[in-house]
Amino acid sequence: MHLLFIRKQLENSGLLRMGADRPVLLYTLVSGILFGIFFGLMGLGLNFIFGVMKIVNLAHGDFVMLGAFGVYLGQTIWGVNPIISLLIEFVVFILIGIPIYYALVPRLLKSRDPEMLSLILFFGFSQTIEALATMAFGNNPETIDATLLGKYPFHLFGQSFQFAWLVVVLVSVAAMVFMYVYLYHTRIGIATRAVMGSREEAQSSGIHVHRVSALAFGIGLGLAAVAGGMSPFMLGGIFPTMGVDLTAMSFAIIVIGSLGNPLGTILGGLVYGISLMLMQTYLPSWSSMVPYLLLIIILLVRPSGLLGRRVRHA
Amino acid sequence: MKKLKKTLVATTAVATTLALIAGCGTSGSSNTSNTSGPSGTGSATPASNEITVGTLYASSGAYATSSMPEYAGLKLWVDQVNAAGGVQVKATGKKEKIKLIAYNDQSSVSTATNLYNQLITQNKVNILVSDFGSVLTSVAVPIAQENKMLLFDPTGSGATFFTPNNPYIVLTALPTSQIWPDSLAQYLTNHGIKHPAILYCENDFDQSQNTTLMQKLQAAGITPVYDNGVATSTSNYSVLVHDIAAKNPDMVMELGYPNNDIAFLQALQSTGTKFNKTFVIFPGQLPALFEKDFPISQLSGLYTYPTPPFINYKNVNYGLTLPNFESQYKSSTGQTANFLSVAGYTTGLIVQKTLETSTSLSQQDLRAAVNQFSGTIVTLDGPFKVDSTTGAQLGETLPVGQLVSNGKGGLGVNILK
Repeated sequence: MHLLFIRKQLENSGLLRMGADRPVLLYTLVSGILFGIFFGLMGLGLNFIFGVMKIVNLAHGDFVMLGAFGVYLGQTIWGVNPIISLLIEFVVFILIGIPIYYALVPRLLKSRDPEMLSLILFFGFSQTIEALATMAFGNNPETIDATLLGKYPFHLFGQSFQFAWLVVVLVSVAAMVFMYVYLYHTRIGIATRAVMGSREEAQSSGIHVHRVSALAFGIGLGLAAVAGGMSPFMLGGIFPTMGVDLTAMSFAIIVIGSLGNPLGTILGGLVYGISLMLMQTYLPSWSSMVPYLLLIIILLVRPSGLLGRRVRHA
Repeated sequence: MKKLKKTLVATTAVATTLALIAGCGTSGSSNTSNTSGPSGTGSATPASNEITVGTLYASSGAYATSSMPEYAGLKLWVDQVNAAGGVQVKATGKKEKIKLIAYNDQSSVSTATNLYNQLITQNKVNILVSDFGSVLTSVAVPIAQENKMLLFDPTGSGATFFTPNNPYIVLTALPTSQIWPDSLAQYLTNHGIKHPAILYCENDFDQSQNTTLMQKLQAAGITPVYDNGVATSTSNYSVLVHDIAAKNPDMVMELGYPNNDIAFLQALQSTGTKFNKTFVIFPGQLPALFEKDFPISQLSGLYTYPTPPFINYKNVNYGLTLPNFESQYKSSTGQTANFLSVAGYTTGLIVQKTLETSTSLSQQDLRAAVNQFSGTIVTLDGPFKVDSTTGAQLGETLPVGQLVSNGKGGLGVNILK
């Protein structure tokens, strides 16, 4: 019975004649790559914070949500271009993140089990943000006109794609380049990598660990806000309770790539994006299982993630 | 490596535990109290000269958009009845005030399960009203049946809820979802649509519609070029829209909840895809929600199921007429009435008529009373008529309509045959 159902799904979806649907397959793969780059950005902030502080920010998705509403409000109330809003948000969230770090993280790190406590604390933080956002923005989904980022589609391999997707990919790549330059070509970035390697050794070598970590926490939130600012153009409607799902998705992405490794996040995003789009096209009923299926497979086959060998573990 | 594993295990464990804790929590109740009464099922005699009506609402989560106006409609009914001195309860022979006991399920099915149980076993309410929609009602149906408690179900129209084996449910404000597509299938047949595409969400509400639609189309010799389900949580339809467009359908039907409809329409907008004819369920029921997100020019031309306030029944013989309801709802809540507020209010009316008709407050007699007045009253939601065996709503049917600009910056609707 179940096999018959699967066969019906396959027949309906066209998977059994994938070869005859090359344009659809091509569109799906390219969409998967474009979305995958965006998903990489989505997980980048979460992974960066984990890499530096070894704490899981379960409120990550809620910061993404706040970033989305920031762009929405900027556009609908003040008519600010979404890209300008993004730049403002990035700076604002860094500035917000630094005091949050000093208020929460040093105490967490002094505790017996900082990892476990961070989960509980940031879960509470997530619920608080969600409740406040619901009061502020209401329950209804809000949308932004995607043509704000460009009215005409762009063409790739004979297929046309939304111009907004291209803009989002460029923003995502810019954020990734920023991270690369920050980590490998600035003094504070090099210090950050030292902290990622060993907090104690970095401290003993004179690095101001809290200052470095506070900035890293702020940048992590800033990246979340940037991903959020782009999410109305990629994910559809935005609403205050979207954060939990986004955290789950981001967590799946960074585990797929490798916990603590920013490069792994990009790869995790690509794997997730392509898998999701293939499932949406050929087995849409099952597409919502993608993050969890990938998570299970990766944990079973390669628990340290796809780029696990190069990771500095907590 | 050891620490990584520890983190992963800890994350999973804590997330699960906290989700469970969150799921068990309740917040906010309106006019809440613990009422006394016989154990087991709902109270057969009212305590303190009042009838207790227990219900749930969702102030957050996926169903908040729909649940809150429905709850507001029910509250308006309670306020009006109490302002008039209460309901004339036949079983007691006097007017009884209504006490509404309401808990917030936050759109969580597990939370709703606990709270429905609490309303029945702890609060011992006289009347049980379910939350919005099939998902949050699905857990109430077996609980009510098990406790032999009649469930007044405003909008949980999943076809599987209504069986001859379960006499403890009445659908008050909508026909069952398997009846909804009757008019849609007829429209497709009458207008020569030969290659429709159907995209539905995988929940009772939408799946049962898809099943009926497919049966009727196949009977008419029409084979859809696309018929696929997606998770109700789907928010990005861009690739799906592209896949459907590749099949060249002559009409596309998206069957989802309001959030799905919005995400689907946004995908059409952002991809620039234009189908010859597009049907979505909720713009006909929640136009204000869609007008906020989309220009009238994009919504005009969409096919939908129009309901009150788009449809104004003239022969109302029980409760407020639509114009009166709209003005009173506006002055009471400050918001514009929509179909779900009408549904909540209509449910209150059905509860009221049941109490006015039933000779006792036993749940069996309440159910028998509903059969007694079924087919005799017309509310602002249309003629109320239930299947005497299953409790499924047979009246209040939904036609197919096409949205048009009303020339005043808003939407109107043309009812189609």
